[in-house]
Amino acid sequence: MSITFLQIFLLINVFLIGAVFATALRHAYAHFRPHSHDSEKIHQTAAQVVHLSPKVRDSLLQSAQDKFQTILNHSAEQLERDLKATVEQLNSRLEKLGTEIVGDEMRRYRMDLDQLRKQTEANITGAQTEITEHQTDLKAKIDKKQAELEAKLVEEIANEKKILIQQIDTKLADAVASFLTETLGHNIDLGAQSTYLTSMLEEHKTELIKGINDET
Amino acid sequence: MKLKLPGSIASSQDLTALLIEIREYSHWFAHESIKKRVDAKHSSATPTMSTGAMELLRDWKIKHQISQQSLDELVKTLEDYCKTAPSLTITLAMSPTSSLKTALVTWCRENIAPDVLVAFRFNATILGGLVVHFGSHVFDWSFRRQILANREFFPEVLRRV
Repeated sequence: MSITFLQIFLLINVFLIGAVFATALRHAYAHFRPHSHDSEKIHQTAAQVVHLSPKVRDSLLQSAQDKFQTILNHSAEQLERDLKATVEQLNSRLEKLGTEIVGDEMRRYRMDLDQLRKQTEANITGAQTEITEHQTDLKAKIDKKQAELEAKLVEEIANEKKILIQQIDTKLADAVASFLTETLGHNIDLGAQSTYLTSMLEEHKTELIKGINDET
Repeated sequence: MKLKLPGSIASSQDLTALLIEIREYSHWFAHESIKKRVDAKHSSATPTMSTGAMELLRDWKIKHQISQQSLDELVKTLEDYCKTAPSLTITLAMSPTSSLKTALVTWCRENIAPDVLVAFRFNATILGGLVVHFGSHVFDWSFRRQILANREFFPEVLRRV
């Protein structure tokens, strides 16, 4: 908005300077190149009205010319002063306006910058909070998953261990049974101790009787 | 005189208990004989006896007339038996049942000596089989010994399984 006003103001100033410059140029042109018909008209009127001697007429002309020159100089000086004052005022106003605009812009820029900084900080804080929450959530999920996996692993290991123990037990039982069967003889029935023991005594009968006879 | 003990009388402890019962019966018989002689009306009940003692008395009654003299003779025979009978000890892995005891005692009396006394012990560490002690002789036919004797055979069996 301020830029628009500044532009409008500058355009008005340019327009005024242009107008002043055009006026000064017109006056200067009129001074150095007066219109021929005006001087002729004056001369004709003067020639028609008064018949003056060339000397008087020359002195009058000289006097008028001096006065006109003086007035013109005075006007030019005044115009120059006015122009200088205008230029100074314009410069000071422009400087002031520029300073104000720059100040406003700087202030606005700082405000925008502060706002941006605050917004960025808020965003960063939010992002950090979100990251922290996400990390916490992720950690909780990871911990939960890890606990689940560990529990599952422990359960699987326990099951595997149980299966292996059962297999080992079965194998060992088979091995021991086979070993006992092959070691103790194929006709052993552990449930029938009486028959087995009697057969054992029968098997070692001679040895036993010999031992008893030796003892007695 | 040879005495054939019932199979349930296996060890010297059983024989001692039997002897006590027979002595008690002998005393009772003597008292009852005296009461009969003096025509006493009151008579006491027969003392409670074990199956083995009743069986022995039944066998003794078949060969001898029951009298105080024959009962004294039976007591003396039992005392001699207790002193002279050979005794062996059989160790088993578990406490033997009466039928198992009878079977083993019968076998011993049929194959080793008819008057042999057999004491039973039990030791779970032998796992099975039996260990026979007779004097200074030890006949170890236990599972433990057989397993230990064949332990080098175990890995081969394990590999086969």
